[in-house]
Amino acid sequence: MHWDLVLWLIAILSNIGLLVILIYQIICLSDLEADYMNPYESSENINAMVIPEFLLQGAFCALFLFSGHWIMFLFTLPVAVYHARLFMKGEHLVDVTEIFRTLSLEKKYRLIKLAIYLVFFFLVIVRYLLFLFWLVIAIYNSLADEDEAVTGIWLL
Amino acid sequence: MDELILSLCCGLPRQRSCQLFPQLCAHSRFVASECSLWREEGSGKELNQMATGNPGHPNFPGKPAASPFAAAPPSATSPFVSSGPVASRPPPNSAPANTMPFSSSAPLAGSQALTFRPAVPTALSDPSAPPPGPAPLHVPPTSNHLQRFSAPQFLGPVQTPNIRTSPIGPPNMALPVQPNMAPPMQRPGVPVSTPPLTFRPPPQTPGGPMASPSQTFTPAPLATTPPYFAQQPGYGPPPSQPGMPVMQQPLSAPPTSAMQNLIEDFSSLSMGTVPGSMDPGLDSKALPRPLEGDVEPSAFTEAYPMNCNPKYFRLTTSGIPNSQSLASRWHLPLGAVVCPLAKAPEGEEVPVVNFGSAGIVRCRRCRTYINPYVTFTDGGRKWRCNMCALLNDVPGDYFAHLDATGRRIDTDQRPELKNGSVEFVAPTEYMVRPPMPPLYFFLIDVSVSAVRSGMLEVVAQTIKSCLDDLPGFPRTQIGFITFDSTIHFYNMKSTLTQPQMMVVSDVDDIFVPLPDDLLVNLSESRTVVESFLDSLPSMFQDTMNVESAFGPALKAAFMVMSQLGGKLLIFQNSLPSIGVGRLRLRGDDPRVYGTDKEHSLRVAEDPFYKQMAADFTKYQIGVNVYAFSDKYTDIASLGTHNSKLVYLYIYGSQTTDPVTSEAITSEILLVVLFVDRNLTADLRTLSKYTGGQVYYYPGFQSTTQKDKLRHELARDLTRETAWEAVMRIRCGKGVRFSSYHGNFMLRSTDLLALPAVDCDKAFAMQLSLEETLLTTQTVYFQVALLYTASCGERRIRVHTAAAPVVSDLGEMYRQADTGAIVSLLGRLAIEKTLSSKLEDARNYLQMRIVRSLREYRNLYAVQHRLAGRMIYPESLKYLPLYGLALCKSVPLRGGYADVLLDERCAAGSTMMTLPVKSLLKLLYPSLIRADEFLLKASFDLKDVERRLPLTAESLDPRGLYVFDDGFRFVIWSGRMLSPDIARSLNIASDVSEVKLSESDSDMSRRLTRLLDRLRESDPAYYQLCHLVRQGEQPEKGTIFLQTLLRIKQGGFVSVFILNKMASTLERRN
Repeated sequence: MHWDLVLWLIAILSNIGLLVILIYQIICLSDLEADYMNPYESSENINAMVIPEFLLQGAFCALFLFSGHWIMFLFTLPVAVYHARLFMKGEHLVDVTEIFRTLSLEKKYRLIKLAIYLVFFFLVIVRYLLFLFWLVIAIYNSLADEDEAVTGIWLL
Repeated sequence: MDELILSLCCGLPRQRSCQLFPQLCAHSRFVASECSLWREEGSGKELNQMATGNPGHPNFPGKPAASPFAAAPPSATSPFVSSGPVASRPPPNSAPANTMPFSSSAPLAGSQALTFRPAVPTALSDPSAPPPGPAPLHVPPTSNHLQRFSAPQFLGPVQTPNIRTSPIGPPNMALPVQPNMAPPMQRPGVPVSTPPLTFRPPPQTPGGPMASPSQTFTPAPLATTPPYFAQQPGYGPPPSQPGMPVMQQPLSAPPTSAMQNLIEDFSSLSMGTVPGSMDPGLDSKALPRPLEGDVEPSAFTEAYPMNCNPKYFRLTTSGIPNSQSLASRWHLPLGAVVCPLAKAPEGEEVPVVNFGSAGIVRCRRCRTYINPYVTFTDGGRKWRCNMCALLNDVPGDYFAHLDATGRRIDTDQRPELKNGSVEFVAPTEYMVRPPMPPLYFFLIDVSVSAVRSGMLEVVAQTIKSCLDDLPGFPRTQIGFITFDSTIHFYNMKSTLTQPQMMVVSDVDDIFVPLPDDLLVNLSESRTVVESFLDSLPSMFQDTMNVESAFGPALKAAFMVMSQLGGKLLIFQNSLPSIGVGRLRLRGDDPRVYGTDKEHSLRVAEDPFYKQMAADFTKYQIGVNVYAFSDKYTDIASLGTHNSKLVYLYIYGSQTTDPVTSEAITSEILLVVLFVDRNLTADLRTLSKYTGGQVYYYPGFQSTTQKDKLRHELARDLTRETAWEAVMRIRCGKGVRFSSYHGNFMLRSTDLLALPAVDCDKAFAMQLSLEETLLTTQTVYFQVALLYTASCGERRIRVHTAAAPVVSDLGEMYRQADTGAIVSLLGRLAIEKTLSSKLEDARNYLQMRIVRSLREYRNLYAVQHRLAGRMIYPESLKYLPLYGLALCKSVPLRGGYADVLLDERCAAGSTMMTLPVKSLLKLLYPSLIRADEFLLKASFDLKDVERRLPLTAESLDPRGLYVFDDGFRFVIWSGRMLSPDIARSLNIASDVSEVKLSESDSDMSRRLTRLLDRLRESDPAYYQLCHLVRQGEQPEKGTIFLQTLLRIKQGGFVSVFILNKMASTLERRN
């Protein structure tokens, strides 16, 4: 019971981490577009964040696998597989020489991923709240049971 | 429909396309008939071999044979009356048609004529890989389907002339009398009421057909003959629809409704035909040929006299569309080609302006430099920016009163207010560090193949001879690294008498010994540098080292240079085999062609090079790559290179004895061993992102190619170079440059970083409209190149141009600039080969051209009822021809084994940098006749330089011709060349240029003079001479000659097929 509570907290935190990493990457790209940052710096910053993001997302996915939350696992699996494929093909890093040509594409790709992560976040929050709700209900019930035991006597 | 035909021409699986488009095939059969017709002619055979120089390729596509049309008497010119679109008819042909055994040879020839690729060795065997099997391009043409269509079946709709759409009135009754050929006749039914009139192209003499088409008929939209194909009784079976049952076979491509459309399209096209008339479509000579080379748009510069010279900046169309919808109907690329440092035209220099401490006058908001198009107001105290319309204050030092017309009184003294091109001396705000000295760093391969081929010696000698001419005399810095399996540094401190060599053998963890003395000031260490260059060839004379630690050496060079930047010249002979950046020998792979992975052959394999290129640009280092490849002449030497894959090409073919007409099956004609290492694919990324270029020397041997290397290296070292440059192009409101194409790296969205740039580099860019509707009348463009001159001054070269905004599509087409369009299209297509198949790149090119011509036709055909004719504006008359030449150019043509991969990549890289003029010359080389000049002393050089059209008819067996594409000369000697010339030039005995120049006769001196003059016209590259004798096999069998021949054949064939292609185009349109 309490392990689940920890699990959902970890999920929420890692999801927030993912969102932060992704937003950072998008900011780097926007800065590059607005000429606040040169392509070397921008791509270096983005590339430094790519592997952590992949690892975190993988952990996020694995968390659900090992905790037996199959539905959530299936939700997060496609992204993990996609990341793995990108990594295998060596296309996970942005290319500094071609960054301006691929800028709009990279941005779109990251925005889509951001949307997906937000959906995850929503799911995780909902599950967490539901879990809390049931927990409260259960506690209340158990309390109620005890109360019943007490009040029952009183009622009787 | 157009696309389909084009793709047909480009080697769709022929069988399938025949099933798809029986009528097209009937049509193509007709084209074939023309071909065969030429072949059957008496003189055809000779010329046939003459043009190819190699009769041994039976499936050589559409050998250009002599045309009986050549003998056609010049037709009387018809009167043209109006200035509207003019329709033309090709000159009539008077060749006797009844001599042509037509149906027998037609199908075969047809399939040949439509094979859209250069000669393929018949027996192409590769020990390591099976011969290319299922690739559609390689399927030998089956003539069955064509044969089927030659059956004289005839269907209704094609037969009946439809008066409704026919531009010609009633059928001409005189025609059946002359069923063979259309005589020069005026059709009675020419629609006089409509502006387009029928006319015939000017009479052409074999010497210089189409010398000046523009002078003969000035009216803009031109139209050439509707193709009346195959409706003639005497000329083989008419086009029919026998293919209908075939079409019912399960087909995936077009749905039946589309099919129906095709048929309707087709029949409506043939409605223009008068039954019984004979017209072979477009005569090859009626096609406009760009014999005067690149013509810069003059009307535009006249309208805007303050624009910079078109050498620096050329728009693809000088009429900027005023709306996005209009831009989308201009199917050609909208953009510009910029060559910021182009050599100034004769008698003009770019004026240098120094504002001193006042600073350069620029717009506050958009940072536009002051230019002739700004307007001064408020008594001269303010100026309005022409780009963003912001009112700026005039600095006190710059103030001048205005005269009555509102013009500054000192305009004539101010070059920046008078000239479109100007150079500002930049003050210190424009520097992030003190201006760098010119710096040349050499990274030289000293492995065994580099030494044996003589490369090392030539390079050392050339560098030594150029030491005096290196730009920026007292400040110039120089340094050297050589490498094989280890890396050698040279300490050339001025206090030493001999250079010290330091060898670093730990290539995995590279470090630079003595980081301070590796780069030295040339004027101080001159003696040390000279003694180093003297001893360099002998130092490695006896080396047996075959390895190459190129990647580590590159890193070492980067470490040495990163303080200052500069130019890195890489001489690379063997495949990098040690350390980072080592390449596996990839070679060409027939199995990959036609698949989605095809492009991977042409792109860099190792990300190391891309990363290095980015770092080089960051530290202002420009890289020029000199790639050499070996030629192995014996198997023994292969043994030492056991890791290398060697392709064995065996050329075997059937030849026809010219005398007895007997087929001789020859044995293996020649065996060429060649290593196709795919080295340049990786190396070119180095130069691509650093503004450099790739020089490639296939099969380098110093005995034959010494001059080329020497000249090109010397040019590279001594030409004026702009260091640590950045370029930005500003343009007026509403338009934006969206993509850039060329060798550079983008520093920000519109800032091109060019560590080292010179006059031989051009950049292309595409323009897009940001607003749906442009309200301004004029759009201004300003190219600004901020650079460090060799003298150590920081300068800004500014080119300003204005272009009108137009609301009419026709105007856009009329203002088009073919040169810029071809340059931009070529770059787009070459970039496409890096991400998709060659086939796709070619299709893309053709689509765009065809769509644009169709769009133009739709503009006028409707109102003038020019059904079935292609019409095109005067400005685009060469576009189809150049488009096809592009498809046949080295980076785009063929497929597996047509072009060596190394060569394809190198040529692609070169074409990405070429200025417009050189590119057009490469695409349509000049052919000049030299024998008259050699024989007659009175002959002036100017007369010789008259370009001939690249057709087989231009070649006279009694002549000596020089074929010049800007990169090489091919001297073609006819079979019946005057013995005097042959003897004195030693043509009969040897092929090499060495002999040509050594024989010390008057004639050879004259020839040398001629060649030198031709070389002067384009000094960027050195043209080596190659001799080709008519109808002979290249006995020496060097791969180079082979390639050349192929290029030569390609050159002729492309033009030959072009004719077909253009006529096809015209038919469709």
